[in-house]
Amino acid sequence: MKSVLSAALLGLAAPGLALAAPPAPTAEAPRDREKLQIPHEKYVLPNGLEVILAHDDRLPVVAVNLWYHVGAYHEDPDRTGFAHLFEHMMFQGSKHVPDDAHIGMLEKLGATSLNGTTNFDRTNYFETVPSHHLETALWLESDRMGFLLDAVTPESLKTQQEVVKNERRQTTETAPYGLADEKAWQALFPAPHPYHGAIIGSMEHLDAATMEDVRNFFRKWYAPSNATLAIVGDFDEAEAKRLVEKYFGSLPSAPRPEAPKVEKVALDREVVIRHDEQVASLPKVSVSWLTPAFFEPGDADADVLAMALSSGKASRLYERLVFDKRLAQSVSAYQQSLGAQSVFTIEAIARPGVSTDTLLAEIDAILDDVRENGVTEEEIVRARNKFETGKIAGLQSVGGFGGRADLLQSYNHFLGEPDRLAFDLARYDEVTPESVRKFARETLDPQRRVVLHAVPTQSGPSAAATQGGR
Amino acid sequence: MRRILLASPILALAFGCATAQKAEPTPAAAEAAADTEAWRAQPPRPGVPAELVTPTFQKRVLENGLTILVSERHDLPLVSVNVAFSAGASADPAGKAGLAEVTYETLLEGAGQLDALALDKAFADLGTAPYVSVGQDGAMLGTQVLTRNLDAATALLADIVLRPQFREASFERRKQQQLADLALQVGNPRFLASETFAEVVFGEEHPYGKLSSGTPATVEKLTLADARAFWKRHAGPKAAAFVVAGDITMDQAEALARKYFGKWSGNAQPVARPKPPASSARERVTWVAKPGLNQTMIMMGRPAVQAGDPDEYALELASSIFGGFFGSRLNMNLREAKGFTYGARAYVDGRRGVGPFVASSSVRADVTGPALQEFIAELQGVRERPITEEELEQAREGVIRAIPGSFESVSGLASAAASLFWKDRPLDHYEKMIAAIEALQLPAVQQVAEKYFDPAKMHIVLVGDPQVIEQQVQPLGLGKLEQRDPLRPAAAR
Repeated sequence: MKSVLSAALLGLAAPGLALAAPPAPTAEAPRDREKLQIPHEKYVLPNGLEVILAHDDRLPVVAVNLWYHVGAYHEDPDRTGFAHLFEHMMFQGSKHVPDDAHIGMLEKLGATSLNGTTNFDRTNYFETVPSHHLETALWLESDRMGFLLDAVTPESLKTQQEVVKNERRQTTETAPYGLADEKAWQALFPAPHPYHGAIIGSMEHLDAATMEDVRNFFRKWYAPSNATLAIVGDFDEAEAKRLVEKYFGSLPSAPRPEAPKVEKVALDREVVIRHDEQVASLPKVSVSWLTPAFFEPGDADADVLAMALSSGKASRLYERLVFDKRLAQSVSAYQQSLGAQSVFTIEAIARPGVSTDTLLAEIDAILDDVRENGVTEEEIVRARNKFETGKIAGLQSVGGFGGRADLLQSYNHFLGEPDRLAFDLARYDEVTPESVRKFARETLDPQRRVVLHAVPTQSGPSAAATQGGR
Repeated sequence: MRRILLASPILALAFGCATAQKAEPTPAAAEAAADTEAWRAQPPRPGVPAELVTPTFQKRVLENGLTILVSERHDLPLVSVNVAFSAGASADPAGKAGLAEVTYETLLEGAGQLDALALDKAFADLGTAPYVSVGQDGAMLGTQVLTRNLDAATALLADIVLRPQFREASFERRKQQQLADLALQVGNPRFLASETFAEVVFGEEHPYGKLSSGTPATVEKLTLADARAFWKRHAGPKAAAFVVAGDITMDQAEALARKYFGKWSGNAQPVARPKPPASSARERVTWVAKPGLNQTMIMMGRPAVQAGDPDEYALELASSIFGGFFGSRLNMNLREAKGFTYGARAYVDGRRGVGPFVASSSVRADVTGPALQEFIAELQGVRERPITEEELEQAREGVIRAIPGSFESVSGLASAAASLFWKDRPLDHYEKMIAAIEALQLPAVQQVAEKYFDPAKMHIVLVGDPQVIEQQVQPLGLGKLEQRDPLRPAAAR
């Protein structure tokens, strides 16, 4: 139940003021942004590894979170999906850590929020462990940073190629709208743009990966100088520094690699894709535009507009398409902020019997109004509150997706400093009805966008059953 | 929060596997490296174990019967405030699957003087949004706010609970939304498997025999009168709890409860515990057609235990060892050794009544048969390769030590409190659970594993391509293949 779920997430993401400092922020008064700091220390080891320490002893746990500054963006265009495949190899053991033991060892210590993720711009590895197991987490992370290649075998590569191909089957090929969304994405970023492979990559490229690729990728992108280690939670500062030095200090240094130079892409027309949807049972329309990169001017306007369009029952798209006219099962609008170029997407899933063309006309009518009149001050204030809320609610967790460690890492990666929360939130104070109008007019151009109509094949038994059930 | 110091003899054991060194460096390589890094072969010893932090819960009951549950956490000015209801999807009357969910969702369609949009905006003005969640054993309405907005948010929740509008147009809109949500779900292999699994394991007539969403056929027939009747029968202070977690004390919570829910009256009683379903040998393999699907969704399971069952924690550990972790037998076999899948997992869901044991995975279509055989082999393997002391200690430590990390958020604390209410658990449930898990010995865990993991009693549900299932599953002799379409409005239903 997508609409139910998104409402629930909004409900959980309520505003909280970081680090317990009255007065609390209000919608009307200027916010007390100095209180939103996350105390931390950042330093760099001689081999180039960046270290961020942030102490927080509310619970006897500590998050260890490593960002390697390499993602799909840095892949060879003939090896789409490789950065992510490589991430899987990082769990297969290293010189001093037995084959495939990494996750199992941490699980049995009671680790939570244990994972690795690859996105377009970076790859991260994280675990939250009981605080007395900090050293084990550092031992595991340092061994794969320094000694991965001693343990990689053709067999482990082959297995992970299969696992990742299964992941592609599960999350793209047999997921509702998975292949349709991939087509739209590829139209936004034509090959050889490194975003083209949509992180997961193609089956052909996944099959083509070699041991040599693994070795070269590791040597180039997994040097300590291309990584940042964050430790957040309940630890003794001097002891943590000693352990970081012990485990990471002797890893050989290499110069920080240079990221590829990739020209920005632009659409010169409206691209319309009609996809014969095999998995989902309802038609979906999505409209996407290339938009300013993470933290560039316009990025915050896009976030605010997305909130005004689809967050809550009284948002513009939801009220008109779902609540009022009941043409759509659900709507969503979001800015996917990325390092090279971002993407703004509006999508609506049709109710049975409603065509995607009808939905598109409704979406266009709402956008025309925004292009003409912008949004209201009230909508901006509510969007600002909700956005702030989402960020600050994440501060409850030391680790995991969107927790303190990830937040510090994200600012460090994109802005060069870990604690830019106040700066980040201040961007939304500058958003005005006029700046949103300008964004809608100039960036959300009807002649430079990708429109996807994903319409289910009507012959499947499930489609027939749906009609029978109505 | 309560801090417990575990007398844990097992920490060293948890490291047993790490010391098993595999790659002996060749002499030349060893020489080249001058072995200055050889010390890394020894995994670090853990530090002094920190006290284990478990959440603490306080309870009071108002004169009208309303339970108040509080879990305090004051480091952020944040509160999760909720009303938990004891009637969940299992209280849906026969033939009206989906009624609980539609009824609770209709609450948000208008209350007091506010229609749905005005209500949404009133919460937005407090910087939040309300949510409703409906499970088999209960439902929860709530929100999360800054402490200073707690009073106003509670007032809105009280409007919703005490003065719901239940208007015809609102009900109809909500029902149509539910049907649209279901029309989307019928394309989702996991949903199809879960719906069919509930029917097969519990039987169509059992309270747990369908999902909370209902099916298009049952939801289509729901009326406003049904929703009003459900609400009248099940909503009342004796069958509800005011659940607050975060920056609040019990005295403050009680004052709030008195102010806004003190005059709530009604004699609705908590729903009865569902009776255990029949547990029988498998005769059929039930499958749902999804032509062209290049993965097959496998779901296996059976009725297992209810909350408080003497076997509960032994089965929890046995399920963890079997499929509860990444490093569990099932996942390491199907994913890491065979490359059949992106992941395979198993868990036991101890509910208010007897809940299921479930093992599932999405596997490559062309290995559907071999993957099923591996599922069976791993279940059988519990007898042939008994659980080892090491496996048990690892699962025990993993389960216990993960508890503090699971309670970082106030919404997590509130959910845990509501779960105690729904399942009639004591307030010191987590301490009792830890003590019980610490005390379990290998023979008891092995015995429970053998008792519940008998492959002959595991029901099997598959979603996939008809040809694949016909060709690969038929020859395995696991039972007669029976196709179902869980969404077809069968005459028998």
